[in-house]
Amino acid sequence: MEKKTQQIPAGTSWLGQNWLLLLTGFLVGAAALVLNLLGNPGNMGFCIACFERDIAGALGLHSAAPVQYFRPEIVGIVLGSLLMALARKEFRGKGGSAPALRFGLGALVMIGALVFLGCPLRMVIRIGGGDLNAVVGLVGFIAGILVGLVFLKKGFNLGRAYRQSPLEGLAFPGALLLMFLLCVTGLCGLFRSSEAGPGSLRAPWYAAILAGLLVGALAQRSRFCMVGGVRDAVMFKEFGLISAFGTVIVTVLLGNLLLRKFTGFSFEGQPVAHSDGLWNFLGMSVVGWGSVLLGGCPLRQLVLAGEGNSDSAVTVLGMIFGAALSHNFKLASSGDGSTPNGHMAVIIALVILLAVSLVMSFARGKEGKK
Amino acid sequence: MRDRGIREVPMRQKQPSCILTFHTTADAMDTERVCKAAGLAGRLIPAPRDVTADCGIAWCGPAETRPALLAALREAGIEPADCRERLY
Repeated sequence: MEKKTQQIPAGTSWLGQNWLLLLTGFLVGAAALVLNLLGNPGNMGFCIACFERDIAGALGLHSAAPVQYFRPEIVGIVLGSLLMALARKEFRGKGGSAPALRFGLGALVMIGALVFLGCPLRMVIRIGGGDLNAVVGLVGFIAGILVGLVFLKKGFNLGRAYRQSPLEGLAFPGALLLMFLLCVTGLCGLFRSSEAGPGSLRAPWYAAILAGLLVGALAQRSRFCMVGGVRDAVMFKEFGLISAFGTVIVTVLLGNLLLRKFTGFSFEGQPVAHSDGLWNFLGMSVVGWGSVLLGGCPLRQLVLAGEGNSDSAVTVLGMIFGAALSHNFKLASSGDGSTPNGHMAVIIALVILLAVSLVMSFARGKEGKK
Repeated sequence: MRDRGIREVPMRQKQPSCILTFHTTADAMDTERVCKAAGLAGRLIPAPRDVTADCGIAWCGPAETRPALLAALREAGIEPADCRERLY
């Protein structure tokens, strides 16, 4: 192997090493506040699961009228990551690591997220908004990650990704850009659009895409990932990544206080949230466990897809498929609470995650190293 | 300092290190097992931002162990994605 050497300044302080992560956390929190002020739903200024669910509705993959809108934030994140990766010569078409399993795991992660009503990012934004149900979700999320880490240590492996053509890596960002252009040029009669409910609450498209571009670019540069944050804290006692999520909570909390929107911490009456503690816990356990197996949280999957990773693009498509399942078969919760179908789906998701974890950990052990 | 109840935490000095990144997390875990068995110093770390765009796990060992490390991994059938020397 060719010898490469690299010099970095010795003795860099913790802040010196992690300022970019903290800045990303601040920017995500600020973007959530600003987009919320400009029209996005309460405590949902920035939520990957909710936005992908809205896109699934816009594409007609589900027929839940209140949650249909082609969210520009998702396009912005992927394109922001793509531009940053190109600028830093980190864009590489690659893939081929268990795409079908990743599609399925992506769908399960989305089903869990929509039982809880939010991705890990919205979970911390909800905590900053005073929603204690999200604290229950956080405990479940961490529990799911810890279970996933046990299997990682046992040798869980979805197989390696291989280099692919740049065109393969550009296909997903390109498709999103094309659909976005169709939307903003008024040719969007193709897509469905909510007239009431969360899908009708939206920031102007130019603000949404700008926020997405900034978050995507900084998340690519800083490797911002909620699952990675918990993993690093547990396995390596490194707290840089997880501090970024603390920064999101603090930013949202202070912003809500300044804007006089904070009404105290409580379980009841929170926007687009329910207080079924068990299902908040188990829903986010599915998200945590599934995300560890996938190698990143829903935001990270978008960023990786922007960097040219077609496995992550497939995972995002799986999430959109999961959102469609959730709304077509009444798996998704609402402000009124979780549903019996949702409970069944979470239990099935946990059983599938266990089966996949066991097979991909121990089957590989039998094969030997390579 | 100790008299006032404040614990002194010595600052870790960065050392010339060999950083290995991998195609899968499982390879990183296997590397830890192989290195322990071979008595090679080092530990798993979060993959540094300036080494790889992935947010995976890397192996960090003293720079002087690089030849022995690569030989041990070759023997175990583990192919690192990248190997760099830098202060860590």
